[in-house]
Amino acid sequence: MKRRELLKAGAFAGAVAALRPPRVAGQDTKGSSELTPAQSGVDASNDLAAPGWKPKFFDEHQNETLIVLSDLIIPATDTPGAKEALANRYIDLVLAAEKPEAQKAFLNSLSFLDGESMRRYKTAFRYLKREDQDDLLHALAYPKAGSGWTGEAPMADPGHTHFEFLKQQIARAYYSSQAGERELGWDGAFAHGPYKGCEHGEGSHK
Amino acid sequence: MSGIYMLQDPLAQTYDVIVVGSGATGGWAAKQMAEAGLKVALLEAGRAVSPKEFTEHMPAYKLKYRDHSPEIARTRPVQKQCYACMEYNYEWFVNDLENPYSTPQGKPFTWQRLRILGGRSLVWGRQSYRMSDNDFKAASRDGYGDDWPISYADVAPYYDIVEKYVGITGAAEGNEMLPDGQFLPPMKMSCGEILMRERVKAKFGRTVTIGRAAVLTENHNGRLGCHYCGPCERGCSTFSYFSSPFTTVKDAVASGNCTLITNAVVSHVDMDNATNKARGVTYVDRLTRQVKEVKGKSVILCAQALESTRILLNSSTREYPNGLGNTSGALGHYLMDHVVGGGASGKLPELKGKANANEPARPNGIYIPRFRNTPSSGKHSRFIRGYGFQGGADMDFNFGAEGYGAQFKNAVKEGEYQISMGGFGESLARWDNFVEIDKDLKDAWGIPALRISMTHGENEAALMEDAGVTAAEMLEATGAKDIKVQANMEIPGMAIHELGTARMGTDPKKSVLNTFNQTHDVKNVFVMDGASFVSSACQNPTLSMMAITVRACANLIDRFHKGDV
Repeated sequence: MKRRELLKAGAFAGAVAALRPPRVAGQDTKGSSELTPAQSGVDASNDLAAPGWKPKFFDEHQNETLIVLSDLIIPATDTPGAKEALANRYIDLVLAAEKPEAQKAFLNSLSFLDGESMRRYKTAFRYLKREDQDDLLHALAYPKAGSGWTGEAPMADPGHTHFEFLKQQIARAYYSSQAGERELGWDGAFAHGPYKGCEHGEGSHK
Repeated sequence: MSGIYMLQDPLAQTYDVIVVGSGATGGWAAKQMAEAGLKVALLEAGRAVSPKEFTEHMPAYKLKYRDHSPEIARTRPVQKQCYACMEYNYEWFVNDLENPYSTPQGKPFTWQRLRILGGRSLVWGRQSYRMSDNDFKAASRDGYGDDWPISYADVAPYYDIVEKYVGITGAAEGNEMLPDGQFLPPMKMSCGEILMRERVKAKFGRTVTIGRAAVLTENHNGRLGCHYCGPCERGCSTFSYFSSPFTTVKDAVASGNCTLITNAVVSHVDMDNATNKARGVTYVDRLTRQVKEVKGKSVILCAQALESTRILLNSSTREYPNGLGNTSGALGHYLMDHVVGGGASGKLPELKGKANANEPARPNGIYIPRFRNTPSSGKHSRFIRGYGFQGGADMDFNFGAEGYGAQFKNAVKEGEYQISMGGFGESLARWDNFVEIDKDLKDAWGIPALRISMTHGENEAALMEDAGVTAAEMLEATGAKDIKVQANMEIPGMAIHELGTARMGTDPKKSVLNTFNQTHDVKNVFVMDGASFVSSACQNPTLSMMAITVRACANLIDRFHKGDV
């Protein structure tokens, strides 16, 4: 993920006027305007916090599991975490619009987590004690290393792959939220120019 | 285009010049001709664009999907392959359902297009490099293909004109493959890039220079210098990067001699068979589907390489049954697009510090000019021509940090110094890479669509393989760790540098255009865009396309003054 995706912004954005050209019947196969919502000045930042929110894609168990998981992956510290940033709601929104393969991939990884939890503790992940949740995640978070003694290559570790996939989805949901932008220290200004680049002498770069 | 009912012509005037397309080259053609006092009609297939729809300062969290919209794929499955087609601006890109094209089985081609005033100049990568005689006369040097019928000396004065007007930031290097130009002050390099420049020069003798870009580093020609907000492809409220609607097209209209006609989807050139001259063009109104004719004494196609060729192929007459200007049979052939996919990335652990969300975002990177098969390097044993690298190095947030929990959250903020480069390789001109009309496919306006047949060949594969190796060795020399090499080829079209299909040449039996972009067959029909390229070189082509357009316009203006049109 590049920083550009997380971006910078500012005061003007709200002032962008909606400028919709007249619609012409039959002109556009999907019948939309010719501006994106962003270009029309639509601000969707508070949509996910709407009262009465219900998942569009997840069932209740999946949603609750994702809330628990996101809180473990990016917890509240001195700043809000992924749970407060409603990472689950963002992921639900995206998946509801995604292709079946992408939907399946996510559910598959989430189910893997429950499967591992049931295999080890005979309990679904969200009902585990906090320390058991932590133990399980710790086991998945670090790939099984190869052996320097035997020259054995690192083994494919599906648990780690599922974990990383879920983690990246949660991280993207979190760091693209307003809370995530603040966490990264963004001051709210859309420009911080000019670009000064390296100002060090030879041998003192940092 | 028989079969389309011709409505009464609402456009009574006969223009001196009809320019089709308002992008980088069309804007220049309209400006040059209109400012010379000629009456110009500038036709654009899309709508007008307003600065009110720029979104470069809008944070992603205000977007429904925070710039990861799965919905774009419904109407733009091809366009979304372009890095610049995003939730912010996807409506600027063509709707793929309305703008189809076909490809043969096993020969994918991604064709990324905008139909809006300014075309792709709204979202282009802005990298601007001159070509040298190593490119214009490449065939003489290695025996492959054909030389251009013009040389660097022919184009150099026009590079000057274009660069002075556009405003190109860059640093002079005196490099044998990359002529210097009229530069605004260069952008600065990061620490990692300075290390790369010093160490790559010391170990390999290769030049790492700051990118040359059509972005203003100071106020210039009434436009403000860059404020370093970052995402140019979403528009620029200070017009600091070059895009035609707010520069060349604006000038053309301001001259009082240019009539801008938007939503004009040109289907074909209209011929007067008695005189063997074009009398104008026919277009379909994008919104109403009314068919209209514009009359002109000359027609300049700047519709984008493949679109200009498509218009000519759709303009067949009894005299030109295989497409207008196609007596040679070369029209549609020698399609090129730079090969991409070879490169490397890594980390520079010797540079510490911390990622910072409040730093200026430089809309530019570094450039490494071609160093293979140069006069000083001698011939490479495995391939001809070469590639250049674009890249960069910067401290960035470490979203790939391992682990989870508070420790992960902290590691993300600590950041990681990242360094990367990716090659752009020359695409050899080959007869068997071509476009033709697909007789079974029409666009939403009833205009026959293209069938595009293109593959990269063995030379392109060898270039990218070598690019992977040399990128890795240069990153290693810089001190990079955890280096990941890429040596594959992306599918054709991915560089978005389509060139050729109406090549210039001195022999009318082998080429479509003469040295001034005039079709050999029809004296008042011109193609002044990337279609005219004889070879692709490896430099980003837009600057050269603009210079060649201005050169061709100077010649046409001369002809008008002499009464020779």
